[in-house]
Parts: sequence; C-alpha cells; structure tokens
Amino acid sequence: MIEGTILLVDDNPDDVTLTLRAFRTNNITNQVDVASDGEEALNYLLPDGEYPPKPVLILLDINLPKISGLEVLRRVRNDDRTRYLPVVVLSTSSEDRDIVESYDLGANSYIRKPVVFNEFVEAVRVLGLYWLLVNQAVTAPKGG
Amino acid sequence: MHAQASHDQLQELIDNVSAMIYMKTIDDGRYILVNREWERLIKTGREQVVNLTDHEVFPRELADKLRENDLGVARAGHTVQFEETAEFDNGVRSYLSVKFPVLDSAGKAYAVCGISTDITDRIRAEEQVRELNADLEARVVERTSELQASARELDAFSYSVSHDLRAPLRSLHGFSQAILDDYGNLLDDVGRDYLNRLQVNVQRMAQMIDDLLNLSRATRADFARESVDLSGQARDIMADLAAADPDRTVEGVIADDLKALGDRALLRMVLQNLLANAWKYTARLPVARIEFGQLDRHGEQCFFVRDDGVGFDTKYADKLFTAFQRLHPAAEFEGNGIGLAIVQRIVRRHGGQVSAESDPGHGATFYFTVAGPTEATT
Repeated sequence: MIEGTILLVDDNPDDVTLTLRAFRTNNITNQVDVASDGEEALNYLLPDGEYPPKPVLILLDINLPKISGLEVLRRVRNDDRTRYLPVVVLSTSSEDRDIVESYDLGANSYIRKPVVFNEFVEAVRVLGLYWLLVNQAVTAPKGG
Repeated sequence: MHAQASHDQLQELIDNVSAMIYMKTIDDGRYILVNREWERLIKTGREQVVNLTDHEVFPRELADKLRENDLGVARAGHTVQFEETAEFDNGVRSYLSVKFPVLDSAGKAYAVCGISTDITDRIRAEEQVRELNADLEARVVERTSELQASARELDAFSYSVSHDLRAPLRSLHGFSQAILDDYGNLLDDVGRDYLNRLQVNVQRMAQMIDDLLNLSRATRADFARESVDLSGQARDIMADLAAADPDRTVEGVIADDLKALGDRALLRMVLQNLLANAWKYTARLPVARIEFGQLDRHGEQCFFVRDDGVGFDTKYADKLFTAFQRLHPAAEFEGNGIGLAIVQRIVRRHGGQVSAESDPGHGATFYFTVAGPTEATT
C-alpha cells in the first residue's frame, strides 16, 4: 500500500469513529486526518501557504455544515495544487442528483454508506485496496 | 288593392321582427320606412319619422357615423355589415347592422335598408367568457406554482429524511457490531441475541426509509413517455431474483414482445415490485411458477403477474395497495407493505388501474393497465 495521509471529511463523529474502525479492521495503517466541515477541509487542502499537505486520498461526505462537500470538491478540482487528488464521495444519499453532480464536479468514485456495518467494512476494504494499491495516481501534478 | 295588401303583409312581417329595420334615401338620408322595434326604441312614431334624417334623431356624432356607413353601402353596391352602438334608455347597446342598397327599376341605388340586431348581451357574454378564461388561466398558474412549491418542499423533506434518518441507524448498527466484535466474549448467548435483534431492526428501519423514498420518488420523479419493452425488463428482473436466491427453483413464464408507453424507470419499478412479491410469496414451494403476460379483461388490455404461491385473503384485497398495510405477519414474510403502494402510484401516474385476485393457498394475480395512445382517446 502506498504511504501517505488520508483526509476524511465528515461532520458526524460517530461516522468518523466507525470509519477509523473500518480502516483498522482492514489493516489500513495510513495516517488519517479528519476535517469536520467543508471550511476545515478547504483550510487543510488549500491553505494560503505554499506547501499544503498532499493526502493520497480524500474521503468526502457531501452533506456538511458551512461549506458543502460538493463545493469543496468544486474548489479542489479548480486548484492546480489539488486538481488530481483522488476524491471518493462517501455519502448517505442515494439521490441521483447528488451522484450526478458529484461526478460532474470530478469525483473519482461515489459510495453510499451502507447501514450494515460489515458491508461498510467491506466497502472500505475494496476502496483501500483500489485507491491505495491498484490505482496509479498523478505523482507530480503541474504547479505542484 | 292587391298592392296595398302585399304592402300590409310586408309591414306586418317587419313589425314583428325583434331587430330594428329601416330604410333611408341615399341622396339626403331621409327615413322612408321604419319598423315597430325602431319606433319603440327611438320613441318616435313612423308618421313623424318619415322625412327626418339621423341628425334629427340621434346625437350628432352617431348620426355622422351612421350616414357615413350608409354612404359606404351605396358606394359598395352590396350588403355590408357594421357594428354600431347607440345609447337608449336601457344604456349603450351594440348592434350588428346588415345594410344593403335598394335599387329602383333602372337598377340604380336610391335607398339603403338596414336590419340592426341587438348583440349587446352576446358581446357581454363573450367578454365574460374571456374574463372567466383569463381568471381560470390565472388560477391554474397560481395553483401550479403552489403545487410546484409543495413538490419542492416534499423533495427537500424526502432528501432530509434519506440523509438524516439513516445516519443514526449507521451508528446503531456500527457500534452494536463493535460490541459484538470486541466484547462478544463477555456476553452470554442471550446478550448476543439481544444485540442481533437490535441490528435486525435497524436494518428493517433502513429498508423502510429506502422504501418510503422510493414511494415518494414514484410520485415526484420526472416522467418520460416512451415505448418500454416490458418483456425484456421482466426477464432481467427474474434473472436478478434468481441470482440473489440460487437455491430456489422458479419457472418464469414471460410473454414475448409486451410493450407499454410510459416511463422506463417507473415501469421497471412496477415489475420489480410485482415480480419480487410473487417471488417472495412462492418461497415455500419446491417448484414455483411466476407468469408475466397480457390478457383481455372486461374489454381492456391488461398486463398481469401471476404466481402459484400462498395468495391472500380476498376480503382485504382493497387494503393491499395502501402503504404499510400487510396481510401476512412480518415473521412469515419479510416486507413492510410499501411495494404495492408504489405500484399503484406509478400505474395511476400512467393513467392506468391496478387490481388483484387471489385463490388463497393457490396463488395470486396482479393486473395493471397503462393508458396507451388508443385508450387515451376513449
């Protein structure tokens, strides 16, 4: 698995706890930084300073306080520093418009969080396997 | 004597017409003939009228207008229609005046004859119809925007339900699983059983939320009308059901080439619910049979889904399509009774009807119609 930080953007502390648990269950040992709303996520990803942290994967909830996940996604895709970062939307919603809008804005994947915990663990396993092991990411983005 | 009799007959005739009838000379506009209706409205006897002009009968402006129309008819040499207005005791009245030139024996026009019919009431009625239509139009616009507003509210509500009600369920399921995984050895079988029951109910509630969302989607989703291959959809659904339940032996009998005009996604939801229902209620049969076809029922082309499962008590047939109504105990057959409510909503949106028959213990048949182009005109 590739080293590096995973950014988890989720405002629900229970969901954060359970997601971290799912990582542990699947032996995903990457550091996980948590942003609990859209504003925190943007401050983290697009700070005024020159060298922002570069997470290897962003897990993004879309229903967030202050700045919505879709808006975070839009700004991340519009900034050269973050344009190519893999973003997986992890949402409760299965509404078509959320899915379509997420992909329109450049999400790499969309997963509806299952209620059954073991299904969620399995989703996180597959997700980690794919994005941290199988997928070839951009390593030297332009302007980076 | 003969000529006088004929003249009297004609005078009698025009006196008994409800329109105003009059004749005026062309060269100086003097009246040479009026009927009784004219006398009544102008309040002048025919003896006094003869040799008067419109300028001595009507206000100047109107008299000018009438004279201009009369001369127009003389110039045209044929019948001309005018809309004329005049004020009488009963207010301003509108007339449709048919005027034509009267020729002498040499074929030269010497007079203009007019027949003026009071069309005030007709015009008023037409105006009323126009006003009512405009009013109705405005009300339709208003109601439509009200409906759209409430649809948007429902939309927002459904969205918030889908998101906000599911999140706590994930916590309940996740943390009860964490207890089972991390502390399961500290619990006895009864304790673990309690946690399992909790999880089953959390899943049931999650399913109910999803079903409610589908029910609301069935009503609000955008609606497209196209030719939909129902036979193909039914085969796909049966294949999915078989793949999810490989231990079952079910004979699927799907009629070929059944098509309906409607929304592809919504009609699929209808078939999905009906076929899944049939699948569910035949679960106890070693070999079940599920049929999808079309037949003539009460003179109407009906689609049907038939199974040979447990059926239902026909006494409660009307309750089948009400949300959350179940005719079987939850422990016997899973489900929350929303599927058929979804079916009914979708079929109604397609202008169709849904109904069901059963021979309890031997199966059930669900019928539905979809208003096609032919049915729509009847």
